[in-house]
Amino acid sequence: MIEVRFFATLREGRGKVAQLSAEEVSCGGDILRRFSIQQEEVAILLINGFHSKPEDPIKDGDIVALFPPVGGG
Amino acid sequence: MPLSENQKQRYARQLCMPEIDITGQEKLLSSKVLIIGAGGLGSPAALYLAAAGVGTIGLADGDKVDLSNLQRQILHSTEKLGVKKVDSAAEQLESLNPDVHVIPYPRVLTEENISDLIADYDFVLECTDSFEAKYLINDACVRAKKPFCHGAVIRFFGQMLTYVPEAGPCYRCAFRHAPDEEKAPDAKKLGVIGAVPGVIGCLQALEAIKYLTGTGELLVGRFLSFDGRTMDFEIIELPRDPDCPACGKT
Repeated sequence: MIEVRFFATLREGRGKVAQLSAEEVSCGGDILRRFSIQQEEVAILLINGFHSKPEDPIKDGDIVALFPPVGGG
Repeated sequence: MPLSENQKQRYARQLCMPEIDITGQEKLLSSKVLIIGAGGLGSPAALYLAAAGVGTIGLADGDKVDLSNLQRQILHSTEKLGVKKVDSAAEQLESLNPDVHVIPYPRVLTEENISDLIADYDFVLECTDSFEAKYLINDACVRAKKPFCHGAVIRFFGQMLTYVPEAGPCYRCAFRHAPDEEKAPDAKKLGVIGAVPGVIGCLQALEAIKYLTGTGELLVGRFLSFDGRTMDFEIIELPRDPDCPACGKT
């Protein structure tokens, strides 16, 4: 399984965490498409704690964290 | 200068803490903190730093108090509508604690003026409401090797990251590219519950106090994400980016 953790406004309508089968997705971009998230809605994409790009591969057991840009003060 | 009897009474609740004591209080009284943004985050941050006896507080903000600010910007009040925020804030902070010298900067920060502005301060609180300002402050603080604490909020959500030179990632390590301001979530449109910048602004003040007194663990390399709906405070470890255009080695 792949665990997807959403943060801040990306949680709205998606919850905090989602589990996906590794067969469903092969890269970060697939996860964004799976959850209808535009690339510009994501400021940080971490795979297992490391900065990653949407094209970076994902494998079974990975933890993906997605953060939106937050700029209010 | 030794603490006066009045100061011993004013700061009694923190003087009795071993982490602060007289030495820590003297450090606070001789410290200078610059707060950029006298709004939702800057309000509680400034109030708590003034209450704690941070000797010099610089406040930079080019705006005037607007009625729509008062839902969250607790430094200001209805009778201050139309007044420059930095002047409204200075009056409030000096009334709270006459030990504090408040220096107002009623101007918008630019590439041209930011380096001079931050130069005199020990610590900077980034309490702005625009991505452009956040990157400007980050890059200037990295260049000047100036520690600062970033804060941001929207709706029920908040986030923080503290930068200490050479010790952890900067804001640009975490958020490499400024988002398109037109497409990014905008608190003016999406809203924010006033208590959320209250929480984050208080924590920014706490980071400043910890840094100035050498107490505890800062949010260096540890990104704090707050969800006010569920009361989740989550810390995510973030590495430095060696290729960061602001603080990277290359």
